[in-house]
Amino acid sequence: MRPENYQAVNHPPSHEFELNFGPNHPGIEGNFALKVKLQGDIVVEARTDAGYLHRGFEKLMEDRLWIQNIALVPRICVPDPVPMEVCYSLAVEDLANIEVPERAQWIRVLQLELSRIAAHLFFFGGHAATTGMYTPMYWGVADRDLLLDLFEELTGGRIYSIYNLPGGVRQDVPEGFLQRVSDTLDYIDGRLKDYDNLFFTNQIFVKRARGVGTINQQQALDWSVTGPNLRACGLEFDVRRDDPYLIYPQLDFDIPTEQAGDALARTLVRRLEMVESIRIIRQVIKALPDIKGPLRTPIPNPLAWRVPAGESYARVESSKGEVAYYVVSNGGEKPYRVHIRGPSAMHAVQVLEKLAVGSRLEDIAQTIFSLDACPPEVDR
Amino acid sequence: MKKSDLDKVKIKQIPAQKRTNPFANVFDEFVGFCRSRSMFMLHYCTGCGAIELPPAMTSRFDMERLGIQPMVSPRQADILLITGYVSIKTLKRVILTYEQMAAPKYVIGICSCTVNGGMYWQSYATAKKLDEYFPVDLYIAGCMPRPEAVIEGLQQLMQKIKANEANSWKQYYKNYDYFLGNQQHLFGNNWQTPTDVIGEAETYQLAGPNTLGEHTKILQSVQTPLKPLEMKL
Amino acid sequence: MSIAHSQNLNVLLQEIEGIQLTFHNPRRLRADIAAEALPALLALLRGRASYVHLSAISCVDWIDDNQFELVYHLWSYETSVLISAHIRVPRDPGIYLSVFDIYTPAAFFERDIHEMFGLYFEGSPDMSKFILTEWNGPPPMRKDFDSEKWVMETFSWQQYHPDWLQELEQQGGGIVSTPESIRAGNRPMENKS
Repeated sequence: MRPENYQAVNHPPSHEFELNFGPNHPGIEGNFALKVKLQGDIVVEARTDAGYLHRGFEKLMEDRLWIQNIALVPRICVPDPVPMEVCYSLAVEDLANIEVPERAQWIRVLQLELSRIAAHLFFFGGHAATTGMYTPMYWGVADRDLLLDLFEELTGGRIYSIYNLPGGVRQDVPEGFLQRVSDTLDYIDGRLKDYDNLFFTNQIFVKRARGVGTINQQQALDWSVTGPNLRACGLEFDVRRDDPYLIYPQLDFDIPTEQAGDALARTLVRRLEMVESIRIIRQVIKALPDIKGPLRTPIPNPLAWRVPAGESYARVESSKGEVAYYVVSNGGEKPYRVHIRGPSAMHAVQVLEKLAVGSRLEDIAQTIFSLDACPPEVDR
Repeated sequence: MKKSDLDKVKIKQIPAQKRTNPFANVFDEFVGFCRSRSMFMLHYCTGCGAIELPPAMTSRFDMERLGIQPMVSPRQADILLITGYVSIKTLKRVILTYEQMAAPKYVIGICSCTVNGGMYWQSYATAKKLDEYFPVDLYIAGCMPRPEAVIEGLQQLMQKIKANEANSWKQYYKNYDYFLGNQQHLFGNNWQTPTDVIGEAETYQLAGPNTLGEHTKILQSVQTPLKPLEMKL
Repeated sequence: MSIAHSQNLNVLLQEIEGIQLTFHNPRRLRADIAAEALPALLALLRGRASYVHLSAISCVDWIDDNQFELVYHLWSYETSVLISAHIRVPRDPGIYLSVFDIYTPAAFFERDIHEMFGLYFEGSPDMSKFILTEWNGPPPMRKDFDSEKWVMETFSWQQYHPDWLQELEQQGGGIVSTPESIRAGNRPMENKS
């Protein structure tokens, strides 16, 4: 918001200056940097500088067994690691022609949707902090911890679960777990009303976020924007619906959209997605006890497993957009090549560079957070 | 492989000046107590361990009850938390940040990756042993450590500071040649930071026989003096 | 996807010479094509067949054939089919054309491939270093770059010999498999096969 008597000043070119934004900066998400050229406080050029989190995953994966890579992949996206595991498993299952038992598919969906809610809670807390509102951050992170407790009970790990593997999942759900999931969802469902009052319909935030970093539909398609950011432009595309995997076709859920395509719309889409995820998990809780069967298809000696030669491209909808794995095997014990397409690779680099131009310096942090950019996905 | 045992480096003790104030020891204890009660940790997420810091800082585990708060600028920070693996690109920035922090400063390495490379030991992009590049006070093991473990580690650091034992920052001045050598090994001989560490060591009266050596000679031969930035309107 | 759609697509793709199509499953179509014909194929798919979403460009280093394989993954939101267009370019001199004018997101992937594999794209807007600005060695994703060897030459490791291990060793025990013995290449079952 600007004061009402604000008038833009035209600066001569000699007043342009460069500013390094990050990597050690509270307004930037993770370990990531931007170099911006400013005229007054208007950005005239922005260049991203990534690579601070580069670990050479794709190289590491070529050196490890198919099964060992399961431990590596969740590290690629720290706030939302489950889709990475599932996507890699789907690609390997497709290569090796393994059928996943139905019960395992339902448990995977349960885990994916819990992870989506956790990532969205984390997201809106961070986004609120960029506008100077710290209370939503405290609330969001604290409520996300309840979901992490559920993860810990199901998989043994708070963040990185290493729970999915090619062929299925490792363990069955513990006794009484579904009831506890249901209770936690009831709690979060009730909290959504408080979040609305505090944040999503708060006029301070709404006025601050409206019109920041607007993308129109044509730009969104041209720039390969995916996930909630695409749906915030009014395009109803979702990998879960268009390119269905696991048991998503059997589930009943809507794909929420917004029309404006700005930071506010991107936030509201995620707010609505949390409701849909809760709806999906409720269906899973209802259906799971009746689905009997094994938890995984056994794979022949995992330490000397040779996956048949071929290639596979698997896609999964994560909380940030489309995650895709391109896996090539030459019939060996290790992958010949794994290429990881993180959704943030598009959002944090190309889209951000274009959205930043013409915006004000103080809006950059909000643009990054509203795109939900995750730097480790860019660097890999 | 380089020989890199810190224990073998001999540190010549500078004879302490005679303390005439009868309350000197009481005063030292008081300073240690105060320091341990108000710590600002630098808000710099170098790796994946940073994801457990928001839960540790916010309502559920609440680090603030121990007097620990995040701080955005290195000049005012006391603790440098290295949260996970450091890629070589990040390590350069971390060293710059470390040298900018005002003494006394404490370094905590979180996650297995800071100890020995962790699961990225094979990777061409990450540095393996953090304490080759600057001294580390405390490691918190785990991949990644839970918020309770982080808080437990910070409490141990508080105890160390209270007892005036967390003095690793002095090692950086005393053994600057060793640390600089490792940095040059990784970044090349043209490596230079804007901080005059040798000058600082002399000011703090911490310069020992290992402050200068072959590596600082290389540094002095390639060093270009820093000039003030040109200002114009 | 309806059969009519796939027929329309087939008619359209016949305009490209020497194209080989294989359906991996109803939503994955593989197209093998000569490197010269790729820009025409992409222009056709984007301009007339609703393939507006460039999902990724992957590069595979087939060092035995001395070739790079480039795979362009294109997704159509209307027909819900993913076309993977495969081309091969020689490893030397490693130059290919950019498709930035057809798909804007190609700029990121091409920059990434140039950095990781050393394959240059003519006409791409920015080929400068991005992720590996501090890296002076060869392009690391090439198969002939041995990451483990480079690490062993560059870094040293922490000595780890705690008291409980020393006690065990005095009783005749100890670590059965050392890190060296389980590292890649030394694994016993690999030697057998």
